[in-house]
Amino acid sequence: MDHESVVREKMTEKYLLEELDPEMREEFEEHFFACPVCALDIRAGSAFVTRSKVILAETSKQTSAQPGNDVPDSAKRGWWAWPRPAFAVPVMALLLAVVGYQNLVTLPKLTHALNQPRVLTATTVNLLTYGANSSPLVVHRGEGFLLNVIIPPGRRYPAYKLNLYNPAGVVDASIPISASAEDTWPVSLPAANWQSGSYKLTVYGVTETGQDVEVGSGFFELQVQK
Amino acid sequence: MTAVLHFVPLLNGRTKHLHFQSFDESYVTRLRSGDFRTQEHFSAYFGALIKIKLASRLRRPEAIEDVRQETFARFFAALQQGRILQPDRLGSFVNSICNNVLMEHYRSAGRDTSLDDPDQEGLPALNVDLIAPMVAKEIEKKVREVLQTLAERDRRLLREVFLEERDKDEVCRNFGVDREYLRVLLHRAKQAFKSSYLKYVGENPADFTAA
Repeated sequence: MDHESVVREKMTEKYLLEELDPEMREEFEEHFFACPVCALDIRAGSAFVTRSKVILAETSKQTSAQPGNDVPDSAKRGWWAWPRPAFAVPVMALLLAVVGYQNLVTLPKLTHALNQPRVLTATTVNLLTYGANSSPLVVHRGEGFLLNVIIPPGRRYPAYKLNLYNPAGVVDASIPISASAEDTWPVSLPAANWQSGSYKLTVYGVTETGQDVEVGSGFFELQVQK
Repeated sequence: MTAVLHFVPLLNGRTKHLHFQSFDESYVTRLRSGDFRTQEHFSAYFGALIKIKLASRLRRPEAIEDVRQETFARFFAALQQGRILQPDRLGSFVNSICNNVLMEHYRSAGRDTSLDDPDQEGLPALNVDLIAPMVAKEIEKKVREVLQTLAERDRRLLREVFLEERDKDEVCRNFGVDREYLRVLLHRAKQAFKSSYLKYVGENPADFTAA
């Protein structure tokens, strides 16, 4: 068993998922005892699986517990504190100031910037391969960028949805896309409060009955500079 | 010569750099002469691999530990007797000793159930970590982060596969995915976790895997 075939065949994942027959399992063990790269891979994978079991078990318990049973009183009444005058008056004043600033300064500036021709920073996200591009996409704070999303061949859907997850795993954007025969979609992401880190992009096909079917996922590294 | 990636902490104990440890004549000589750091590296490196290997075969942590210790005892006896003829094949040698010890364990367990008592099969396999609490905490934090980046459906998929130990084909069918999807999901999560694992593995080369 050589290293190339181990990587190609995803032997580490098959081993961790206990998919190998006894003969292949022994062959792979023989390999990772002798191959330091695979030894590291299997150690990291094993550590991840072991810890995940514990964490997922905790999450499972939390989900099955009745919601709100152990919520402290202060947290329960948290939102009801807002309408009280002590909070409401300064908050309203602050909101007025923010709205005024946006109307007079921010919006005209953004409108002007949008009307100017420019070259967008771009990267390619290939849903056919895993792992992020080796080089991060470098953008300046307040700039947008372009993603060229390569869609795997196969079933086509009447519509699509593209979800963009930020490095914290929260959906930053959900973009509806109408049916396209193209394999590469240029997706323009506007200037926003982007964070540095690994972004995940998942494309769903929307069926005739309105169900979302995952088409694929890809990753890219974003580096935001001041 | 087989190069082993091994993090070695710098003197200030905070910054780390990548150091290439080689399984060669020099490594074997240092092991034989009782060099502390080399022995420590050997025990941590192969101890973790042995535990991973045994976890799918033995249920009781005590049995895993017995086989691991016996493997090391035989290896060091062979080392002192000058029977390590191919230092670059050290890993294969350790694996073959472990296979022999395991076979003997099976035979012995057939006669005497004291090592891996079938009555105790309900016990979880080796859930005790030998890592420092601080490092364990960091590792756990990173695993949590990685799990958080997954879609809720993917987290549920992993939970059903790992925790509920249901038939994987059935689980995949229920989620409308195939086995390859599951492998790719695990691969991506593992890759996202690996850099943090590497970061901490240097400061505590002892076992992270807990089988």
